[in-house]
Amino acid sequence: MLTVQNLTKEYKNVTAVNDISFNVEPGRVFGLLGPNGAGKTTTIRIVLNIIRPTSGSVLFNNRSITNEFFNKIGYLPEDRGLYKKSKVIDVINYFAKLKNIDKNSIRQKADHWLRKLEIENYRHRKIEELSKGNQQKVQFITAIIHDPELLILDEPFAGFDPINQQQIRETILSFVNSGKIVILSTHQMETAEKLCSDILLLNNGKEVCKGSLAKIKKDFGTNNIKIEFEGDASFLNSLPEVNSADLYGIYAEIHLKKEIKPAEFLRKISGRLLINHFSVIEPTLNKIFIDAIKNSNHK
Amino acid sequence: MNKIFSVAKWEFIEKVKTRAFLISMIVTPVIIIAFAVLPTLLGNQEGEATKVIGVVDKSGLYFDGLKEKISGDKLSDNLPKYVLVNLSTEKNDADSLQKSADKEVFDQKISAYLMIKYGGTDSVNVQWRSRSAANFNDVRTFERAFNDTRIDLKFKQEGIDPSLKKFISKEVDIKPIKISKEGRDTESDFLNIFFSSFIFIILLMVMIISSGGMLVRSLLEEKSNRLIEILVSSCTPAQLLTGKIFGLSLLGLFQIVIWGLIGISLTGAGTVHPDAFQNIPLTLVYFILGFIFYTGIFVGLGSVVTTEQEAQQFTSYLSMILVLPIVFAITAIQNPNSEFVRILSYIPLTTPSIMLLRLNIAPLPTWEILLTIFILLISIFISIRLSSKIFKIGILSYGKRPSLRELINWIKEK
Repeated sequence: MLTVQNLTKEYKNVTAVNDISFNVEPGRVFGLLGPNGAGKTTTIRIVLNIIRPTSGSVLFNNRSITNEFFNKIGYLPEDRGLYKKSKVIDVINYFAKLKNIDKNSIRQKADHWLRKLEIENYRHRKIEELSKGNQQKVQFITAIIHDPELLILDEPFAGFDPINQQQIRETILSFVNSGKIVILSTHQMETAEKLCSDILLLNNGKEVCKGSLAKIKKDFGTNNIKIEFEGDASFLNSLPEVNSADLYGIYAEIHLKKEIKPAEFLRKISGRLLINHFSVIEPTLNKIFIDAIKNSNHK
Repeated sequence: MNKIFSVAKWEFIEKVKTRAFLISMIVTPVIIIAFAVLPTLLGNQEGEATKVIGVVDKSGLYFDGLKEKISGDKLSDNLPKYVLVNLSTEKNDADSLQKSADKEVFDQKISAYLMIKYGGTDSVNVQWRSRSAANFNDVRTFERAFNDTRIDLKFKQEGIDPSLKKFISKEVDIKPIKISKEGRDTESDFLNIFFSSFIFIILLMVMIISSGGMLVRSLLEEKSNRLIEILVSSCTPAQLLTGKIFGLSLLGLFQIVIWGLIGISLTGAGTVHPDAFQNIPLTLVYFILGFIFYTGIFVGLGSVVTTEQEAQQFTSYLSMILVLPIVFAITAIQNPNSEFVRILSYIPLTTPSIMLLRLNIAPLPTWEILLTIFILLISIFISIRLSSKIFKIGILSYGKRPSLRELINWIKEK
């Protein structure tokens, strides 16, 4: 288990991370979410032991993270890129060797992953000759080839087409199922919603909400509706019954106040909009994200 | 240790394979050879045809003497190198003679002429007048011939025995000999020192500049695509830095060995004075330590660079700093035993180059050699330590270049 306690990182003018705590359990994907500049990367760097926190601690199976953990950590940074002029297999070899794997198992594992991700034909090509998606696959391999116990993935799906996303998702899930600790940092709420069991939402370096996704959804409230409509729906946000409404052109996701009955609300707005579809839904993570960030910015 | 080795090996092999390295490997010696050989080749080629040289001399004293002295100069096919034509006439004055002679030069009837004024007096004045810039060799030949003739004339006038002239004109050179306890005497002339040490100093600087540039660019690549973050989540910044330094040093050494082999196979080992190799082990020690020391500094500072533009600025600053030891080395070559030079050899930044030089100038006491090596080792240790502190933070800072004060704070940070 990875335990982060009261982590704070202060730079001269800013507090990048302000007193955050969370646990990551094996077998569950942990989602580290938040808008740009929320402090996700700083948190990841501290967990990776690249930078030191101002205060707080990071424990991995009850031991503090030191340089011994280098070989147990796998990291896929958000900005991708490899040595462009070097060959695929050489790059994989280099990163694997830096994780202290012996030659034989490097070869074996490289073979395995190259085949699994369907890029074995590019083994002896230079990185720059590969398509962007295939370059990312190579980088993904470098992050997992040493079978890390702690895998940190920053936007792992960015730049992949749906088929490749599927492949990567399966790989990540197989890691989780074998008891590895996986932290996923992303903006893509749909992905997070599908993969993560637990999340931590950060804004301006502070915790906004955290816990299991199921509980967060429950806490957010069940009074959510989705409508598909024609007409100008901009008045929705100013209605007293509405907690918040997100408009998407032809449909809207609306969080109603607790005491409001959805059917009454429908009757009220049907005079002003042409409603094509109406349903009561679970709040999406996207909706929770937007509302939580808005609220925390207003405070 | 394992990881340092992995980094060093990667840096070495991936750089050796690059086209830029291959080119510099081949082009540098080609340029050096071109500079060394071409001027002599060109200089020899010129003058492969007989030149017609005019003489304007109102006094009429010098023509015969000049002609006699010049007649010994032959081309390779035994034709005379110069043919002299007397352009002086009785009736015209010097000015109109000069005008008509100039015209002959422009008409290419003669390639140049000597304008001798106030012949026979103490204020005699000679000009070599030609259309293009004067050929240095021609002018020197005629200068000698003229002065010879002038002395001959004076001797004759004063009735002095002409054989005395030989005695007067013979100069005795003082030969500098460097003696050693083992009884080996070496001619210690400038060329010897130049080839045995100066070349190493320049080579050291050239290599530091080229590998420094290479290093900064590769760091920049690693920073710009965040590879550096993967690297430092696999090994410590100090391991990464040390690996890079050793990889580069290996690369430099490899380059020298190849150049050395090319050099020896081209010139033949026999043509190099064996004494030039007498200090090779120590030369290599200073060379390698110097290289590691400088690279250690530049890796640290280079990690701060965030854009291609800054990388270029950095490399040019670097070259400027490195010119300094060369300038000092030139002073040292002229006055190798001064106190100033001794002090310079204890300052880490100039230790390698000054010691490379002093090694070949005079035998050095063992304690001084040990002390300077010790100074270099300590400096390497300190420079790598300080650099790795800057490196540790520098590699993770993007976008803005830190100020000097921030750098100092980084060094202070634990």
